[in-house]
Amino acid sequence: MFKRILIANRGEIALRVQRTCRELGVETVAVYSDPDRNALHVRNADAAVRIGPGLATESYLVMETIIEAAKQTGAEAIHPGYGFLSENAAFATACEEVGIVFIGPSADAMHALGDKVSARELLERAGVPIVPGANDIDANDIATASCEAERIGFPLLVKASAGGGGRGIRLVESAGELEEAMRASSSEAQTSFADGTIFLERYIEPARHIEVQLIADNHGNVRTYGERECSVQRRHQKLVEEAPSVAVTPKIRARLSQAAAAAATSAGYRNAGTVEFLMDSDGNFYFLEMNARLQVEHPVTEFVYGIDLVAQQLAVAAGEALPDAGDELPEPHGWSIECRINGEDPYDNFVPSFGLVEYVQPPLGPGTRFDSMLFDGLDVPVFYDSLLGKLIVWAETRPDAVARMRRALNDLVIAGVQTNIPFHLELLKHEDFIAGAISTSWLESEFTMPAVAEDDPREREALIAAALAAELVRGNGDASVASGPVSGWQRGARASAVHLRTRNGGLRGWQRGIGS
Amino acid sequence: MATRHRFLIDGHEHSVAVERDGGAVTVQIDDEDPVAVDATNSGLPGLFSVLVDGEPSTAYVSRRGAGFEVTVAGRRFTVDSATGGSKRRGPVGGLEETPGKVTAPLGGVVIEVHVAPGDTIEVGQPLMVIEAMKMQNEVQAPLAGTITAVHYSKGDRVDAKGDLLVEYDPAETADEDDPAGD
Repeated sequence: MFKRILIANRGEIALRVQRTCRELGVETVAVYSDPDRNALHVRNADAAVRIGPGLATESYLVMETIIEAAKQTGAEAIHPGYGFLSENAAFATACEEVGIVFIGPSADAMHALGDKVSARELLERAGVPIVPGANDIDANDIATASCEAERIGFPLLVKASAGGGGRGIRLVESAGELEEAMRASSSEAQTSFADGTIFLERYIEPARHIEVQLIADNHGNVRTYGERECSVQRRHQKLVEEAPSVAVTPKIRARLSQAAAAAATSAGYRNAGTVEFLMDSDGNFYFLEMNARLQVEHPVTEFVYGIDLVAQQLAVAAGEALPDAGDELPEPHGWSIECRINGEDPYDNFVPSFGLVEYVQPPLGPGTRFDSMLFDGLDVPVFYDSLLGKLIVWAETRPDAVARMRRALNDLVIAGVQTNIPFHLELLKHEDFIAGAISTSWLESEFTMPAVAEDDPREREALIAAALAAELVRGNGDASVASGPVSGWQRGARASAVHLRTRNGGLRGWQRGIGS
Repeated sequence: MATRHRFLIDGHEHSVAVERDGGAVTVQIDDEDPVAVDATNSGLPGLFSVLVDGEPSTAYVSRRGAGFEVTVAGRRFTVDSATGGSKRRGPVGGLEETPGKVTAPLGGVVIEVHVAPGDTIEVGQPLMVIEAMKMQNEVQAPLAGTITAVHYSKGDRVDAKGDLLVEYDPAETADEDDPAGD
């Protein structure tokens, strides 16, 4: 096992990796941009290195700086987390060249899987079901494309081989729209990825997003850990994930697992990885793409399989072989759900919300896990994504897990930044979600965030609290409470408020208000 | 001895009367029935545990200008003082803006600035791009006119929704041109 690794990431995932490292006795090196100087992942590390200003392109995405930081601090390996450099083949190569282990797949495997057309061809040969489509499409040869389109059937999607994040995708409802869609997709792909290669794919709708977790070592062993259901999405962003899926029977799970393992084997894959599939209402599934990294939603799998995926990543990266588990697939135990807690306002069209988090009360209790970067006084930077934390619960059954998640969401208090907790509470009440009758388009087509009720009881509570706070600040009512039971909080609070001001004058919130 | 507070939430005014009698506190909101309130904040100034007629709730209060921001059960309220001369926020974004001023649709980092003082602008023309949490938001000209001031440069941080970004002289337009708009 490694003695010391560098974590090339920030936020909750950097902390997540640190926690396992600490348990394994592996030292961690944190990297940070200027606005992250005060972040928890910096304080929680054994060593910390500044890598630049706030913009990710000047800090968390600068390979040379990060590799230099690893060399300086004696890190033997780099864990990339998710996002940033985690699926960058050039980074994996650069690490290899200086003798640092990249905790991920080889650059070759990333290349093979990163290009969508080559991945489709590779997996087709490996016997993995892929979405019916046509790979060799010339954007200027409309005659051939039309023939292929008739064979595939409408509606279909025109996609960019190098695509990602929804760019280069066009939906074609009928033959007449094909030519224009091909031209638009190809030129967008050329602009975005400098590669105008396109392909056609049947449009499967309604479809569930089902993904299989696996871990592969350097010795040809691949182990799968069942599926995750990630169909609750807005603008291709997952919001709620669960394991297992209501739509996956043991039989389908066995076929999914086999397909995922074949995908990993065919690419010579090493590391934790996720194979994403689209699954139609008849249980037919098709390969979508492979994510060559730890996923945001990995904790739901950890809960139902009782494993630590980061520990397994470190072990296989250090060259250890997966212990032989026989041919039996592991069975999921119980049910796990994750809600992504984002800084966004569900009452105002989900506009991003960031700034000073003044108070956090994490949810505790049975079956509850909160992976988060939050602490009282964190100034959430605007440079990165809106994920503040992930709330994950486990219970024996799905209804129990839903009830536990509701309880935990109500227990979680985050003051200062508006979060999407109210959205999650509404979602968990929806009859379609409760029935598990969801697809990737369900959230955007069927779910509407209810407007706040006119007589929202929280408004009364806010007014009462504001009035009491106003008296606290202005000193109203002092005389009448001098000896009463209320005097304690008034005096105590003012003393601590003044204390804050003298230490840290001119800041925000209470501090700024006192005496103004 | 009652103290009366006047607050604004979402443009609606509310009166909150706090009556103290020894240790007992009674609160009356607008013309509702008065309720018995027991509150404590245990040393962390903003964190209130409130019992309203024995029913518990938790509120976190922070000061914002002359008003407060209060978080109750996942919802954040801006509670402005209706008497204390607090700055009232104008409408934000798009065509509802005060002519001559363009305010931020959200806080974030300015990643592009497309105009400078003296430039003439057309309706819908991109003025700036503000990025927050990896989402880019284009700020467009609500009316045609001439730019008189640009308050942010590339890389600047915009603190909050409603902050003044750009000022311009609206062009003289024939009012009858397109009375319905679109």
